[in-house]
Amino acid sequence: MLQAHSLLWNYLWVAPNVLLLIFGLVLWKRGLRHQFPGFLAFSILSPLANLAVFVADISPGVSAENFWRVDWACLLIESLLKFIVIGEVFSRLLNPYPSLARLGRNLVSGFGAALVLAATLAAALSHGGSPVRIVSAFHLLSQTVFIIELGLIVFAFLFASYFKLAWDRLSFGVLLGFGISSCVYLSCWAISANADPKSPWRIILDLIDMATYHACVLLWFYYLLVPGKAPAVEAAPRLPETNLELWNRELERLLQQ
Amino acid sequence: MTIALILVAAAVIALVIILRITFPGSLQVSRGVEDEQLQPIDVEAFRNLIDPTEGEYLRQKLPAPEFRRVQRRRLRATAHYVRAAGRNAALLVRIGQTAAGSSDAATAGAARELVENALLLRRNAAFALLRIYVAMTWPNSRLTASPFLHDYEQLSGAAMLLGRLQNPARPVRISAAP
Repeated sequence: MLQAHSLLWNYLWVAPNVLLLIFGLVLWKRGLRHQFPGFLAFSILSPLANLAVFVADISPGVSAENFWRVDWACLLIESLLKFIVIGEVFSRLLNPYPSLARLGRNLVSGFGAALVLAATLAAALSHGGSPVRIVSAFHLLSQTVFIIELGLIVFAFLFASYFKLAWDRLSFGVLLGFGISSCVYLSCWAISANADPKSPWRIILDLIDMATYHACVLLWFYYLLVPGKAPAVEAAPRLPETNLELWNRELERLLQQ
Repeated sequence: MTIALILVAAAVIALVIILRITFPGSLQVSRGVEDEQLQPIDVEAFRNLIDPTEGEYLRQKLPAPEFRRVQRRRLRATAHYVRAAGRNAALLVRIGQTAAGSSDAATAGAARELVENALLLRRNAAFALLRIYVAMTWPNSRLTASPFLHDYEQLSGAAMLLGRLQNPARPVRISAAP
């Protein structure tokens, strides 16, 4: 069961990608392509790239080196799309608040630059976990990408939390999915790139990666299909009663002066 | 191996941060605010604390060690006010966001203005706190928090406007009179 090319392995590789393609179609059908163009591109191109890697993996005609080349291309496409999606979600978060937009963009740029430096340093200190150059470079690039991705996502959540910004439902779900998956991926790739795990452990790490991806796709479906509780606008919370009393008390004191 | 441990630990901490931020109150608008209260702030006392002439007077009258001690206490009090103002601003952001969906155009407009002012104040509160902590390290430096006070008074006005629009019989104020 917990082996490469077992039924579970094949399911976890193929199913989330097929589901994500369906998700992309649903997104398109619901007319959200103008609101989430980056995420729509991700939900179509990323599964196609991952399925291409799967085909390269099971095809006997594809050499090991060519498999890693395909995997490299997939990683580059996926990483680029993920950064586009993170930028898209952050823009959607900031757009309703012009007073914060510039600050948010400046901070995310500065923080992003710091993350690139930190990730480069981490890559310089890592050895890659494989004697084959293309494989170790793949591990290091994955680790670098996930350090930056996770850092940006944590920054976005902290920023929104500090300012109490309101998320739209799908943006929140998208970033939550990316956040959870980045944490798991970073851990797995950091172990792969630095701790030289033996073959059974590598397979378990791969299975954890794929299962997390599957869970995230389901999470995105949840945030897309299940409507959230609408805030009761008419029953909007009034400014607290006790503060009104305080104000009245202060007014009385002012009148008595 | 060490770098792997550091990165795994960082990923776990990041996951805890994400889950702590997202799950207790994932969609901020839907959270109730009834259980939280605005803390009235004595603007005049705050104004005195940050008045540069007061600071200058103390600097001239007190011996240097005594001035540093007094100045640190004044800065701690200032930080307390700024933190309270920042908390009020956060609460007002949420109140404003909910009221912004009101069917009444005037209320919705006032709510949006309140949210903008509250966000500016929250941003400035963070910067002001940073400056206060720096000034605590060097009490001889001259701290100016007047722009922050101006923002707070503006915010107070916006909150009062929204309060009046939501409930004309009961005005709201977040600055306490002296």
